[in-house]
Amino acid sequence: MSSLHPVVIARVVDGPLTPMVEQAALLAEVWSRAREAAGPAAPGVVGAALRFEGIVRRGEPSEAHGGDEHELLALDYQTYDPMAEQELRALARQIAEEHALSSLVALHSRGRVATGEVSFVLMVESPHRAEAIAAMSVFIDRLKQDVPIWKRPVWK
Amino acid sequence: MEVAVLLFGAAATREKSDRVTVVVGTEPTVQDVLTALHEQHPDLRFALPSAETGRLAVNRSFVRGEHPIREGDEVALITLVGGG
Repeated sequence: MSSLHPVVIARVVDGPLTPMVEQAALLAEVWSRAREAAGPAAPGVVGAALRFEGIVRRGEPSEAHGGDEHELLALDYQTYDPMAEQELRALARQIAEEHALSSLVALHSRGRVATGEVSFVLMVESPHRAEAIAAMSVFIDRLKQDVPIWKRPVWK
Repeated sequence: MEVAVLLFGAAATREKSDRVTVVVGTEPTVQDVLTALHEQHPDLRFALPSAETGRLAVNRSFVRGEHPIREGDEVALITLVGGG
């Protein structure tokens, strides 16, 4: 049995997703959500909790270098605001419902994120692992299709 | 009628601008604007190989085909995105 009202948080935040930035983004959402929450999920409902981090790699294929991998300093994430956050939220709600999740948290960076830093965090909870794993994969595929966020390489 | 279209990502980099303008008929649709973008801005064809494969957002929502474009609408070309 899953929660009838999954907790869904989806935000675009400036810069890399350091633990402090992530905590601040979540706290802001949790406080506003607490006011409108229908009630806490029943204990023992969650049987699987997954966390995914998207990390900026050191190398990306470069058009200017014939498609070969070239070394990066950072990625600049450009978002179409406020549509990016609207679409991120809509996607989060849809995936949470389709996969009967207990919760889904998605945070995405805006602006410059250096190599080795985190630009995307996705956390899902569900009663069983199969839904959580499937939801995570589908969410990331759909994010890359439908959420208006572009990355521009900053070459070394 | 002239329609300004917002550009992002590689499309904006290639055009060296965050918007382009297209000239269309008096009651244009999404498909008309995509066709005009493809025909009038060849530099965008790498991201818009055909008018049929393009995607527009109008007033920050995805719309397709026969959706009308009106004066004052915010129109954006949503090329291949790459978040995550």
